[in-house]
Amino acid sequence: MSKVVEISPTTRHEGHSKLVLKVNDDGIIERGDWLSITPVRGVEKLAIGKTMEQVPKIASRVCGICPIAHTLAGVEAMEASIGCEVPEDAKLLRYILQCANRMHSHALHNILSLPDMYIPGTDVKINPFTKEEPVRSVGLRIQRLREIGQTIGEIVGGEAIHPSNPRVGGCYKNITPRAKAKIYDLAKEARVLTQEHMEFMVAVFRNYQNRDWSEVGGVQVPIPDDLGYHNQGYMATAPMYGSSSLDANPTWFPERFTEVRPWDWYMGEVEIDEADPNYPIGGTTPVGNKAWPQMEACTGVPLYDGQPVEVGPRARLVQFKNYDEKGAMGLQIARQMEFPETAYGIIDAVDALDTSGSVLADEIPQGDGTLGWAANEAPRGTDVHLARVKDGRVQYYGMLVPTTWNFPTCSRALTGAPWRLAEVIMRAYDPCVSCATHMLVIDEDKRLVAQKLIQ
Amino acid sequence: MPGRTPESRPEAKPAASQPQTKPAVKPSDVIVKEKVEVVQKEEKPVADKITIGELHLSGCTGCLVTLADNYEGLFKLLDDYADLVYALTLVDVRHVPEMDVCLVEGSCCLNDKISVEELKQARAKSKVVVAYGACAAYGNITRFARGGQWNQPGHEAYVPISEVIDVDLFLPSCPPCPQAIRNVAVMAYLLLKGNDEQKNLATAYLTPLMQLAQRGNEACGCDLMYDVINQGLCMGCGTCAGTCPVRAITMEYGKPNVNRDLCIKCGACYSQCPRSWFNFDVMNNYEGIMDAIKGAMQ
Amino acid sequence: MDVLGNYKSAISARSTDKDILKKSQDGGIITTLFAYALEEGIIDGAIVAGPSDEPWKPEPMVATTKDELLAAAGTRYTISPNLYLIKEATRSYGLDRVGIVGTPCQMQAVRKAQLYPIGMRDVDDKIALALGIYCMENLSYQALEAMVEDHCNQKMESVKKMDIGKGKFTVYTERGAVSQMPLKLIHKYVQPGCNVCLDYVANLADISSGSVGSPDGWSTVFVRSTKGNAVWDGAIAAGCFETKPMDQVKPGLDLVTKLATEKITKNQKNVDARKTMGLKADGTPKGLRNPYETP
Ligand SMILES: Cc1cc2nc3c(=O)[nH]c(=O)nc-3n(C[C@H](O)[C@H](O)[C@H](O)COP(=O)(O)OP(=O)(O)OC[C@H]3O[C@@H](n4cnc5c(N)ncnc54)[C@H](O)[C@@H]3O)c2cc1C
Ligand code: SF4
Ligand code: SF4
Ligand code: SF4
Ligand code: SF4
Repeated sequence: MSKVVEISPTTRHEGHSKLVLKVNDDGIIERGDWLSITPVRGVEKLAIGKTMEQVPKIASRVCGICPIAHTLAGVEAMEASIGCEVPEDAKLLRYILQCANRMHSHALHNILSLPDMYIPGTDVKINPFTKEEPVRSVGLRIQRLREIGQTIGEIVGGEAIHPSNPRVGGCYKNITPRAKAKIYDLAKEARVLTQEHMEFMVAVFRNYQNRDWSEVGGVQVPIPDDLGYHNQGYMATAPMYGSSSLDANPTWFPERFTEVRPWDWYMGEVEIDEADPNYPIGGTTPVGNKAWPQMEACTGVPLYDGQPVEVGPRARLVQFKNYDEKGAMGLQIARQMEFPETAYGIIDAVDALDTSGSVLADEIPQGDGTLGWAANEAPRGTDVHLARVKDGRVQYYGMLVPTTWNFPTCSRALTGAPWRLAEVIMRAYDPCVSCATHMLVIDEDKRLVAQKLIQ
Repeated sequence: MPGRTPESRPEAKPAASQPQTKPAVKPSDVIVKEKVEVVQKEEKPVADKITIGELHLSGCTGCLVTLADNYEGLFKLLDDYADLVYALTLVDVRHVPEMDVCLVEGSCCLNDKISVEELKQARAKSKVVVAYGACAAYGNITRFARGGQWNQPGHEAYVPISEVIDVDLFLPSCPPCPQAIRNVAVMAYLLLKGNDEQKNLATAYLTPLMQLAQRGNEACGCDLMYDVINQGLCMGCGTCAGTCPVRAITMEYGKPNVNRDLCIKCGACYSQCPRSWFNFDVMNNYEGIMDAIKGAMQ
Repeated sequence: MDVLGNYKSAISARSTDKDILKKSQDGGIITTLFAYALEEGIIDGAIVAGPSDEPWKPEPMVATTKDELLAAAGTRYTISPNLYLIKEATRSYGLDRVGIVGTPCQMQAVRKAQLYPIGMRDVDDKIALALGIYCMENLSYQALEAMVEDHCNQKMESVKKMDIGKGKFTVYTERGAVSQMPLKLIHKYVQPGCNVCLDYVANLADISSGSVGSPDGWSTVFVRSTKGNAVWDGAIAAGCFETKPMDQVKPGLDLVTKLATEKITKNQKNVDARKTMGLKADGTPKGLRNPYETP
């Protein structure tokens, strides 16, 4: 007989989510549902009727960790709808922002993952906030990498969080030669740090991979070799930046996308009949409580080619770099492997930037209601925004954000793992749940939304 | 337990900011004489740390990232001044614990039971509740929310947290600044653990932010019209335009013009304006206070 | 503390740079200090009141060369919202050490932005040199236009210099004409925000300067903060200024004190009058908002 355990709320990721897990007598997950329980602020609906300039500013504010992705996807969805070509130097500024955001975000995620990991060669788990060495130096390096990423984002984007410089048609301002030189120096420093840091983090995750057990709430839990494996597909649009419907050869295909509602996907009502008060920190939900994932989930379930897919660092590496390592640690390692390119990407883009070039299109059409979309490779994966703009106002807005794609995929990856390691698998996805509460939805007949939209 | 008064709870209006009761007769009366003594680094004698937590409601975690954006300083704050006892994104604690200072990020969705419940718990279990960021203080972009979106179309009503609980202090802007939360954290530490002099300094410093919490929970670029220009107080310094995180303000012939189709209602422009409030007792000591904070962070 | 604020020293001074003196309003203190600070790497750039499309209408700008400083030298008696650029200077301009010049109220804004950086991320420790200019009152552009064109009968574009002193507002034209209007007529034109201003000599600047107290072509300088002191000492050592002790110049510090006292007393009365400006139903006074008490 399987029993139900609930971990709610989950910790060390953005937003609120929970895990409802059916486990067998050995504590192995037979079916896992991971779902968002963050209130839905409804950005897609509140966008309607507002100006195309304001909506990306609002969209940015669904997530403070990858606000650059949402700003850029939002702005570019508007540009795709109105058919506005952006000057080359504005594109370079946006590319720099993209790299800078990924550098900071991946580094922040390290702080959230490390407490599950062990100092290699010991049975000591890592507390990233401890003063003790060697951890403090790692902590300081993480913060320095974040500082470099955020500072570059601030110079180019106007603000370190929620960039104000990108706008429909390009950017408000180009940067000065002095700012360019400053970015160059910072990126050169980051080039060395990202390399060192990647090597260290990969070693830490490899060490976990090679361990037999991990201690969770006083219990020694065996770590299976196939921790977090799944057989779902991958979706990525570019190694670094993204794609849009204005591209000559777009790399995302709206017609391959469908969505089902949680009602058809998640578990029905269940009673919690197993609990561990010692599970860190605060225990799992006590026995006797009820959970109803179908009703409680705050996101829909998006499918690509009819099935859930994984998005994010590994998806990008699988699609574009022949990476093939599966499982939770495979995903963690893929993320670290993206570090160096964030620094090189900035250096290349800033080299190419002409600081006296114009960064705003001469003419910004006001839109005739055509559907446009833009996909941005956010730190956590493909972030697609879709928009229709007419006379400068937004008529329709949709956001297909990374963690929404990953919820059902990760839920499948839980099967076969000891339930006490479910959060370790979940954290490998670097979930960012607040933005995941925003979701396109199909009509009642579950017909292809995208097709309808494009008609 | 909203409304209770722990001994260390700041008073709504500490002496330092009491309005002058009689009009000044000589010019020197104009400047508040009382000098706030500034803490020296060596004096940082206080042994125990305060406890700080962050409750995440309907926000974007940008406010929390802001705290982390003190970079090396984050470690300093956590090493010496404050234990981070709660923050789902950063630490493993699952349920709202007792704490000295609770930073609440995000507005409260009235249609989400957990949000309301956690917010009330945070009030009951903390000495000082801070509306940390524009969403918590003023609603910010969630002011525009109007429901109707799957998979929870009923999530429609979002309010600034002070609609639901009493709030001691506002720290507006979207997001607030790392330096602002650093200053508030150091001052909260001095207020709760410092000697009398340090308490006085911290009280004087924090007073306007406490008064801001009393002023109300609606903010908008329009405040510059209503409460500065319309009141005959604007002198055209341009701070508001420089502050706005969405570039909604331009200066036209020396006065701010707000593009209301851009404004996200974060309250930064008004609270940063030197004519929203200006406390001479603190500002005249800017050098000492800045040195003290710098010293504390070294 | 009195109406003149905290200061370490008060000096009468004049720039030794002839190019600057040709363009500057008074002793060229501000332009010279910024030029020195740029040269020494104390600042990477300075926010000053640059030229714009309209005659005598300043537009805040970031100057990073002496030429740009010179283009912005001299007083424009109308609002230049210099704080507009204070955050941007640290962003797309890439400055790590920002200089800024401004009226007393703008210096207040700078200090508030540093102590309470509510929407001013990563700005507080980048303010490297804040220079204040004394200020009795300021005018909207339209008010200045009315004074120049109606009262003084000159075209804005033909004016070479404007000055306030000895009870008069004076305009000098390119063609050598001089027109004046008595200062007592100015009141109607003063921007309302200035009527509650309680600072005359930029008490919160690192260094502040104005003409009053010193002979024509010279300036009165208050060196206020530790930072200001270091910059001033450096500039003196570098031979940037001729100086005279304040007690050896006419009319001297007494006049500065007198004017400061008059301004602050008058404006404190205005602040107080606002408290009882209106009327409540019960017959007791109803007040306007007082920024010095609560937000
Ligand atoms: C509105 C106003 C009122 C003044 N009232 C008095 C007074 O009552 N008594 C007195 O002694 N002095 C007053 N001054 C100051 C005086 O006019 C000179 O600006 C000051 O002495 C500096 O001269 P300087 O030769 O050292 O500087 P300069 O080398 O000429 O440099 C002046 C600097 O100030 C900047 N600037 C010019 N106009 C403005 C403006 N409107 N806002 C901000 N910055 C500006 C310029 O860009 C330049 O960088 C006033 C100035 C202003 C703007
Ligand atoms: S105030 Fe801004 S940064 Fe903070 S939670 Fe709200 S949207 Fe995010
Ligand atoms: S105008 Fe700008 S700073 Fe002011 S409330 Fe609106 S968004 Fe915030
Ligand atoms: S910050 Fe205040 S005083 Fe300054 S221009 Fe804006 S509204 Fe006017
Ligand atoms: S009088 Fe005061 S408020 Fe007016 S411009 Fe001068 S310093 Fe500013």
